[in-house]
Amino acid sequence: MVESKHSWKAWLYLAPAIVLLLVFTVWPIINTVRLAFLEDYNSSMAIGGATYEFGIRNFAKVLQYKDFINCLTNTILLCVLTVPLSTILALLIAVCLKQIKPLQRALQTIFFLPYVTNSIAIGMVFAAMFNMVGSAFGGENELIITAGIINNVIEFFGGQPINWINSGSAYWANIVVMVVYIVWNALPFKILILLGGLQSINTQYYDAAKVDGTRRARVFTRITVPLLSPMLAYVVITGFIGGFKEYSSIVGIFGEKMGPAGDPGRLNTMVGFIYDALAGDHTGRASAAALILFGIILVVTLINLQVSKKNTHY
Amino acid sequence: MSNINKTMAEKDIRLVSSKQKFGHFLGQFFVYFFLIVMAIIVLFPFYWMLISSVKSLDEYRLAVPTLFPREILWGNYVTAFNQANLGTLFLNTLYVGVVSTILSLVITVLSAFAFARLEFKGKNTMFAALLATMMIPGELFTITNYVTVNQLGWMKTYTVLIVPFLVSVFYIYLLRQNFMQIPNELYLAAKVDGTSDLKYLWKVMIPLALPTLISITILKMMGAWNSYVWPRLVANDAAHQLITNGLRNAFTDASGQADIPVQMAAVAIVSLPLFLVFVFLRKYIMKGVSRGGLKG
Amino acid sequence: MKVVLQNLTKIFPSRNKKSNEEVVAVNDFTFTIPDGKLIGLLGPSGCGKSTTLYMISGLQKPSGGQIFFGDEDVTELSAENRGVGLVFQNYALYPHMTVKQNILFPLQNLRGEDKLSKEEMLERAYTAAKLVQIDELMDRKPSELSGGQQQRVAIARALVKMPKVLLLDEPLSNLDARLRLQTREEIRRIQKETGITTIFVTHDQEEAMSISDMIVVMKLGVVQQIGKPQDVYDDPTNLFVAKFLGTPPINVFEGKVAGGKLYLDGVEVLDVPGVADQDVTVGIRPEGFTLDENGPMVCGLNSVEVMGRDVSVVSTHPASVNSVIRSIIDADNKVAAAETVSYSLKPHKVFLFSKQDESRIYFDI
Repeated sequence: MVESKHSWKAWLYLAPAIVLLLVFTVWPIINTVRLAFLEDYNSSMAIGGATYEFGIRNFAKVLQYKDFINCLTNTILLCVLTVPLSTILALLIAVCLKQIKPLQRALQTIFFLPYVTNSIAIGMVFAAMFNMVGSAFGGENELIITAGIINNVIEFFGGQPINWINSGSAYWANIVVMVVYIVWNALPFKILILLGGLQSINTQYYDAAKVDGTRRARVFTRITVPLLSPMLAYVVITGFIGGFKEYSSIVGIFGEKMGPAGDPGRLNTMVGFIYDALAGDHTGRASAAALILFGIILVVTLINLQVSKKNTHY
Repeated sequence: MSNINKTMAEKDIRLVSSKQKFGHFLGQFFVYFFLIVMAIIVLFPFYWMLISSVKSLDEYRLAVPTLFPREILWGNYVTAFNQANLGTLFLNTLYVGVVSTILSLVITVLSAFAFARLEFKGKNTMFAALLATMMIPGELFTITNYVTVNQLGWMKTYTVLIVPFLVSVFYIYLLRQNFMQIPNELYLAAKVDGTSDLKYLWKVMIPLALPTLISITILKMMGAWNSYVWPRLVANDAAHQLITNGLRNAFTDASGQADIPVQMAAVAIVSLPLFLVFVFLRKYIMKGVSRGGLKG
Repeated sequence: MKVVLQNLTKIFPSRNKKSNEEVVAVNDFTFTIPDGKLIGLLGPSGCGKSTTLYMISGLQKPSGGQIFFGDEDVTELSAENRGVGLVFQNYALYPHMTVKQNILFPLQNLRGEDKLSKEEMLERAYTAAKLVQIDELMDRKPSELSGGQQQRVAIARALVKMPKVLLLDEPLSNLDARLRLQTREEIRRIQKETGITTIFVTHDQEEAMSISDMIVVMKLGVVQQIGKPQDVYDDPTNLFVAKFLGTPPINVFEGKVAGGKLYLDGVEVLDVPGVADQDVTVGIRPEGFTLDENGPMVCGLNSVEVMGRDVSVVSTHPASVNSVIRSIIDADNKVAAAETVSYSLKPHKVFLFSKQDESRIYFDI
């Protein structure tokens, strides 16, 4: 490191970053907390000179709000379903990828492909796949002409077509579609991290296990998983953090109404709730909801860290 | 140590040998089977997007869908391009993406250089404080930023799309780590030769850190291309709309009447640049991502 | 269990795709390892000794030749079905398991008629642990053990399933000098107690010589010599083996044979009956020199190092290939402080090698 007499120079280089961070990162942290505790704060009115009292009514309002409970339920449900599912699938794929030689690179590329997609755009593709083409529930003269490719596949195997996302669809069907889409979207990152972890495990452990006649399943549960546990903890924790911020994947499938036609907001999430409140000028309520979300993420992450500390072997 | 375990002599060695070969074969078979099935599932949406995008609406609505279009209708792409006004959206996004990437790179490089090479009071505290902000979810910033840009009168401008997210602590961190690996002797030698900091930065550090800079550029451009939430809040007017918002808005009527082939054509157009970036620059993306970059 | 290697060959395809150069790691290795013996595979790095070991373990497949355990051809069997114990150079102890779990691991893999009860497993694990004297450390994690202790755990883990053959890859290379001495005695003791045919790989000739029943000296994939350590030392088949064995190393000279006599720097030093006239390379063991005022070998005296029982004399000779020659003589002999020192040679400590192919040229003593 070079001793510089001109430490002002360093500050000059840092100035643009510091100014922007102060305005758009540091100030928001302080201010959002402040707004959350100002009763019914409304930013448009505040510009007009209105003042607000200090209090916790925003939090109370958020928690009483029917939509909030709905958003929280949706968020938690999606998290609890998608994180384990995507982690297990990604682990299986990564372990299998590690074992093969021909086609390894090609398959690795394919599995990474969903990462570089636009989650809104591809959401529309999934919506099309689960859609019923020509809805019986829609226009007067419409007939179901085809039930959509997913339903076609179900019919091919002798099942009944399901109304997945259209008007009148069941909640569980909506959730299934979301889980499929979110898992599809979450796989590439997890596979990349887990495969990287697998490749850094010393192959001698596997040689030793082989000499000792260990079966594949046992190698997997007794050697691979424990040695991979730090990486597994990492993808689970980041998965939960991302899961609690789920939003645009739902917009991708259901549009900005966050629900099937005729039932807007059915699949709204915590983040969606915050943006709705913000767009509706309920800035105080949005801040309170954001703090609650932050609190939940913090608690879940701490629990995750605690659990993984017990089960991580380094 | 008597009681030696049962030796190979007691088992039929040929049986074991063939069993082991069969087991290996079976294992590999299942591994490939699983991977290929998963790969098909992963790829299917892309395939469905592409074939649907060139079908006529009538063919798309057939009771038994065709897995390959009977007639390729490129016209869907023209319709999609016009209907969703993709040209304007594309230019808007390109403008926002390029400007914010360039400015962001300049800020990131300068900050990373200061943290990696210069000595000043409070450096470590400063860096730690910066890293700490990474822990806080972005939604927390959005609320106040929304109020701030409103007060600044930036609503519905390009500025509001560019300025608030110019600084990424993660990129500063990534580049600083990269700069730290460059031997300090090079810097000392440059100092002895009377090279200025900026010249040294330009001639030595930047070329050596080029892969990281490319990673940052790609991720930043992809960020602009995929951003949805913030633009929707602050600049969702026709003049400044970005591609993702425009795409979603143009086909927002998700009831059964939508012309899905045209919609899929639009999605394909939006996905194409990402796909090209992926094909040619996959290495840089994967490197950036595996070092801790999350989506977005 | 007797282990037979027959024309064992391993060829690695070239790493560089453009050139088609193959690497012959092991070339046509034939050797029968007698039951219950301790065998040292010895050679410089890259000589194919580790590859040979891995082929015996089943982790690597030979490109040619066969491997027999007893009378059975196990060439096609993969590692898990061979019943060998292998101790890795870095021990490869599972870091997330305790010592006990590590040792139990191979036993828990046994299935079918070999399956053991929990009590049997524990008993076996403790027997193995006692054998290597780590039964006090059973609940520790490998990271809490010293290098030597980890080594013992690795050996216990290899022994616990009572393998037909025990294989050790550079077992001492990660230990410090003192521990190395102690551990090699330990390996000898354990091998004697269990009677398991044991093959170990090392690049350290002293290590191999001190504990092996037989050693195999390898160079660039080709076996140079096989025999009892003392026999190989006393009777090397070529210059490489002669140079590779012995500390201090053998002294090498350029010499000439004429009329059944060996000349070094034009001076007649030894009778070598039965050798045709030619230029030769001469190897003289450090202990092959005897102080003799009238001796034919007159060397410039550099220094005398007293090592207690012995005295090591460092001197120079014009015919020497190396800059100095080293001789070991009994400490009873006093080396006078002088410009020169004179020796006569012990014929059985002098070896002649062909200039063309470095093979040994024998003469009658």
